[in-house]
Amino acid sequence: MEKNKFSITLRVWKQKDASSKGYFESYKVEGIIPDMSFLEMIDVLNEKLIKQGKEPIFFESDCREGICGCCGFVVDGNPHGPDEHSTVCQLHMRRFKEGDVVTIEPFRAKSFPIIKDLIVDRSALDKIIAAGGYISVNVGSAPDANTIPVDKNTAEKAMDYATCIGCGACVASCPNSAAMLFTGAKIAHLAYLPQGKPERTKRVLNMIKVMDSLGFGNCTNEYECEAVCPKEIKVGAIAKMNREFLFANFLSEEEPQLPPVFHKSTVDVPEDE
Amino acid sequence: MNYLFLFRMIKTSVGRKQLMAVTGLLIASFLFIHLAGNLLLFKGEDWYNGWSELLIANPATIYIEIGLLFLFIIHITMAVWVRTEDLINASYRKYDMSRWHGGRTIGSATMLYTAIIILVYLVFHIIHFRFADKSIGVYQMVVSAFRSPLFVSIYIIGSVALALHLSHGFQSALETLGINHIKYNVYIKIAGYLVAVCMVFFAVISLYFYFGLDLREIADASNIVEMTIE
Ligand code: HEM
Ligand code: SF4
Ligand code: FES
Repeated sequence: MEKNKFSITLRVWKQKDASSKGYFESYKVEGIIPDMSFLEMIDVLNEKLIKQGKEPIFFESDCREGICGCCGFVVDGNPHGPDEHSTVCQLHMRRFKEGDVVTIEPFRAKSFPIIKDLIVDRSALDKIIAAGGYISVNVGSAPDANTIPVDKNTAEKAMDYATCIGCGACVASCPNSAAMLFTGAKIAHLAYLPQGKPERTKRVLNMIKVMDSLGFGNCTNEYECEAVCPKEIKVGAIAKMNREFLFANFLSEEEPQLPPVFHKSTVDVPEDE
Repeated sequence: MNYLFLFRMIKTSVGRKQLMAVTGLLIASFLFIHLAGNLLLFKGEDWYNGWSELLIANPATIYIEIGLLFLFIIHITMAVWVRTEDLINASYRKYDMSRWHGGRTIGSATMLYTAIIILVYLVFHIIHFRFADKSIGVYQMVVSAFRSPLFVSIYIIGSVALALHLSHGFQSALETLGINHIKYNVYIKIAGYLVAVCMVFFAVISLYFYFGLDLREIADASNIVEMTIE
């Protein structure tokens, strides 16, 4: 056991808040066990830093099992680290070896202001969801499960898109900082299901309008998002969103609207119509 | 208000890309017709001038040309708009270690640069061929132009840029219009590369005349073949 332990040098992006200037700070991390997760390795380093009276490294995590979308920073240029289609909390230290210099920095995008060190504010994604990522159901007791028939293939397809955990890696990897894969996944998920039909046109028009107003970029189909997405969301989601938009724009009489929850005080969406 | 859906399209990120996609695909289909016509250069002077006369005689040609001009204007305006926004976004996104993760291709990463080269190529081409003195006949005009190394270099660089642009542009346009299906994606990719390869033929035409391959007598060539067989 002992002889497996190794040490690396960690170059970490330190930044006090959104308006301060950031810089890289190097830390020597010793006694790393290959079975540790990457976040546990930072935990160990942070405990040491706290004991020494120094400021720890700030990062975000919650479930630590790849299902919540909280964690997420860039390891050596890879959002969520070098493992394909996995979150950074699922990255393990056996991926690294003695003497490695590992650079970690936050997701960088215009719409993701840095809160501190590796933590970014991804609430812009929540605003896109609020604009249409919902369906209408009657309140009260839950409806019987199989009242609306959904065939298996459709259910599977919707489920594939529903697995998006909103981590924002797609935005971080995109050369244009576009949120198309995220928004596409949310739209496609509901567009394939009968339960999503009532709000179908309104959803695509409103979600895209809000996405644009939050400063996310335009898609140039680079497909970097698909390559890094921990949930393997395919760019078919973006194509589905594009189809939904095309039909909504040409055939429906609906006008895009900002949802009522968008009070000026809580969300800075420009009113342009 | 609803009659203005085209303006709504321009105001939306996805709509702007869809206008770019439609105009791009229409320009590409023009290029195919244009290439097919220019391949008549290989058939000789009578064929090529005949095709040119047909175009000039056709009263629809001028309207098609104006339509083409509008396609280019829409495509380029949307491109400038989209790319300006994206470049501003990119300035917020400076990674210490930045890398490609497997989605980008040389074609997709160079769209802006190939677009600028194509524009220069296009302007040069239109000035020298569309608005040229055609008194010696269109065939003679084209063939004599391709004797110049400067001309041929521009055609080679321009055509390769065009091929790169379309190697990404074709399948990107289809994706933007919502055409993406697990069964056909491979074929769409292959079709995009085939379209790109076709564009290199513009350069091939210019090289053919630069090296004077048209001047070599067919009879001579067959004589040589017969001699070697003997
Ligand atoms: C070997 C390559 C090419 C040759 C020999 C060629 C030849 C010509 C000629 C002779 C004309 C003028 C027609 C006329 O005035 O009657 C023309 C027009 C035009 N070419 Fe090309 N061309 C070539 C490649 C290209 C490429 C690669 C593009 C696109 C980027 C292009 C775009 C155009 C356009 C937009 C026009 C104006 C449309 C028109 O006048 O009908 N050409 N070309
Ligand atoms: S699409 Fe993938 S990368 Fe983007 S937010 Fe969802 S899970 Fe994360
Ligand atoms: S901490 Fe929940 S996905 Fe990583």
